[in-house]
Amino acid sequence: MRTKAHVPYLFLMPAIVLFSVFTVYPIVYSFLLSFQTGAGGNMKYAGLANYRRLLEDSIFWKSLSNTFIILAVQVPVMLFLALVLASMLHSLVRGRAFFRISFFMPAVTALVSYSIIFSLMLAGDGLVNQLLEAVGLKAVPWLSHPVWAKAAIILALTWRWTGYNMMIYLAGMQNIPDSLYEAASIDGAGKIRQFFTITIPQLRPIILLTAILSTIGTLQLFDEPYTLTRGGPSDATLTIGMYLYQTGFRYFDFGYASTLAYVIVVLIAVLSFVQFRITGGKD
Amino acid sequence: MSKSWKLFVWLLAAVLVLSACGGGGKSSSSGASGGSSSSSSSSSSSSGDAQDPVELTAWAWNVNVGALNEAIAMYQKDHPHVSLKVEDIGRLDVYDKLSTGLAAGGAGLPDIVLVEDDRIHGYLDAFPNGFANLSELGFDQYADLFPDFKKNLTSLDGVFYAMPFDSGPTGMFYRRDIFEQAGVNPDSIETWDDFFNAALEIKNKTGVYAFPADKFKDDANFRMMMNQLGVYYFDKDGNIDFKNPKVIQAMNNMKRFGDADLVKDVNGWDGTVSATVDGSVATIPFGAWYYGTIIDQAKETEGKWGVFLLPAFEKGGNRAANLGGSSWMIPASSKHKEEAYQFMAFFSTTPEVQIMAMEKYGLFPSLLTAYDSPLFTSEVSFFGGQKIWQLFSEEMPDIPTPYYTKDYAIAFDEAVKAQADVFNGKDPAQALAEAAERLASRTGRAVNEY
Repeated sequence: MRTKAHVPYLFLMPAIVLFSVFTVYPIVYSFLLSFQTGAGGNMKYAGLANYRRLLEDSIFWKSLSNTFIILAVQVPVMLFLALVLASMLHSLVRGRAFFRISFFMPAVTALVSYSIIFSLMLAGDGLVNQLLEAVGLKAVPWLSHPVWAKAAIILALTWRWTGYNMMIYLAGMQNIPDSLYEAASIDGAGKIRQFFTITIPQLRPIILLTAILSTIGTLQLFDEPYTLTRGGPSDATLTIGMYLYQTGFRYFDFGYASTLAYVIVVLIAVLSFVQFRITGGKD
Repeated sequence: MSKSWKLFVWLLAAVLVLSACGGGGKSSSSGASGGSSSSSSSSSSSSGDAQDPVELTAWAWNVNVGALNEAIAMYQKDHPHVSLKVEDIGRLDVYDKLSTGLAAGGAGLPDIVLVEDDRIHGYLDAFPNGFANLSELGFDQYADLFPDFKKNLTSLDGVFYAMPFDSGPTGMFYRRDIFEQAGVNPDSIETWDDFFNAALEIKNKTGVYAFPADKFKDDANFRMMMNQLGVYYFDKDGNIDFKNPKVIQAMNNMKRFGDADLVKDVNGWDGTVSATVDGSVATIPFGAWYYGTIIDQAKETEGKWGVFLLPAFEKGGNRAANLGGSSWMIPASSKHKEEAYQFMAFFSTTPEVQIMAMEKYGLFPSLLTAYDSPLFTSEVSFFGGQKIWQLFSEEMPDIPTPYYTKDYAIAFDEAVKAQADVFNGKDPAQALAEAAERLASRTGRAVNEY
C-alpha cells in the first residue's frame, strides 16, 4: 500500500496553518507596521520615519543603555553563581533534591506574588532596610535612587533565574566523566582548580546556551521594571521591552512600537552571533 | 502527472476553505458596521415594533459592575426585551482589550464600555471613528444636567462621545483622633501653609506622616493641586504648561512636604490603602470615591474619620478639584447602538440609578439633579456624623477643567519623572522645565513660556 503524495501535507496542514496565522502573519505584519506612523485605525506608510525618529529619541537610547548595563552586570554574575551552586550541589551526597528544588523554586513562582514580595521587601521601610539598619548600616533607597533601582532589578532577576540556569548546568555535569576528576585529584588538583580547568571547559557548549538564553531574556526584560519600579525613577530602569510596551499600549503608537520590536530582534541576532564566535561554537 | 494534479486540487480546496472563512468574517463585520451606521433608525424601529430580545454586552470593572447590573434590573421594568451581560474585567485589561479591538477595526468589542475621564480624549484622538456620536443619538438634551468640567471631559468639539458617570471631587480624608492627639483643629486649616504647620505639629507629637504619596511612580497629589489652581499638564489649546508658575507652585508645595519628611512613600494603591488602615498618615488627599475603600478596609476606625476640602494656595483661594471619575462610551462597531444608548442615557440621567450607585457602591454621581436627594444632606456616622456628601456635592460646580489631550499618558510619565527628580533633590522649576522639553520633543507640542 503506497502512501499518496498529498497525505503528508494533509497531516502537516494544521501545524502550518496555525504557525502561519499566529507566528508568520504577526511577524510580517509588525515588520510592515514598523514603517507606518499614525495611531489606532489610521496608519500611513512613512518610509523610514520611525527608524529616523529612533536615532533622535533620547528615551530610546536611555532604555538601550539601561538594558545593556543590566545585561552586562546581571548575566555574568548570575551564570557564575549558577555554576558555583551547580558544582556544589553536584558534589553533595545528601539532600541534593531538597536544594535543587529550593533553588529552582523562584523560576516557577507566580510573577505576581514574586513582585509584590520584592516590592514590599525593598520598600523604603521594608524588610531589607530594617535588616540593614538592625546591623548598623544605612537604609538604601532601593527603588527610588537611579543606581540602586538598577541594583534592585539585578537582584530580583538573579534571585529568579539563578536556579533555572543551575538546573541546566547540573544536567550538563552528569555528562562529565568522573574519571577526569579522579585523574585531576591524583595529579594533585584541588576542588577550585578542578572547577576552573575541568568543569567550566567541559560545560562550554552549555554555558554558551545559557548565556544566549539569558541575553535574549534580558534584552526583552519587562516584568521586573514593570512591577518594581515602573521604569523609574526618571527612566533609570526603563528597558527596551518596557519602552516598547509603553509606546504600544500606553501611547497607542503601534508603528513605532513595532520599530522598537525589530531593534530588539536585530540586537538579539547580533549578540547571539557574537557569543557564538567568542565562545568558539565549533560544532 | 495525475499525482501533482491531485495535489493541486487539494491545495485549491484548502485555499477555498480558508478564503471562505476569511470572506465570511469580513462580510459579516462589514454588514454589521453598514447596518449600524447607515440605518440606525431602521434598526431602532425594527426593535421598536417587534421588541425582539436584545442582549447588550458591557465591559466594566470593580463596583461599576454591580451598579450596571442593578440598573439593568430597573430598566427592564419598562424595557423587558433588553438584557445585559456585564463582563467584569480588570481596569487595565479593559483598556488593553479596548485598544486592541479598536485597532482591529472594532472586532470583538462590547456595546458599552467604561472609560476613565482622563483617557476619553486619548481614545477619541487615536480612534476618531471608534466611538458612537452621542449628540447625534440625542444626548445634547441632557447636557445641562452635568457640571462644566465633566461636560468638557466627555465631549470633543461640542459633540458628546461619552455619558458622564461618577466623579471624584477631592477632599482630605483625615483621622480625627490623630488630629486631636496632636491638638490640631482641622477647621482652622484654610491654606496649604496652615496645613504644613499643622502637619509639622502632628509629626512632632504623634510621629504620623501628613499624607501618603507614591513618590516615584505616581503624582496624584500634584495633579489635584494643579487642578485646584486651574492649571494642568496642558492648557486648553493643548500646549504644554509645565513652565506655568502655578504648576511650579504645586510642585514646590510637594517638595516642601517631602523635604520636611511629612510624606510617607508608599507603593501604589496597596501601599496607600495599608497606610490608611494602619494609621501612619494623618490625611489622605483623594477623590470622594475613596470613602468606599475607607469604610471597607478600615472598619475598626469607624467614627474616627472626617473630611475637609483641599487647603487653598492663598486665603480665600479655590479649594475645589477633581481626581478620577469615569464615563460610558459606545464603540461604533456595536450592533445595538440605539439600544445601548437608550439604556445608558437612562443610567446616566436618572437620579434613582445614580443614587443607587452612590449608596451601594460609593460611586459619586456627576448628575446634578441627584444631589436633591436627602442622601446628600444626611449625616455619615462613619465620619463622626459629618455631612460629607453635602461637602462634596457643593464642591462640584467649582471644579476647574483639567485638559488631558491624547498625550496625557506621555505627559503623566514625564510629570512623574519630574516629581521623582524633585524628591531626589532637583529644583522643581528646573525639573519641570526639563520634563517640558522632553514632552515637547515626544509630542511635537509647543511649550508655554512665562
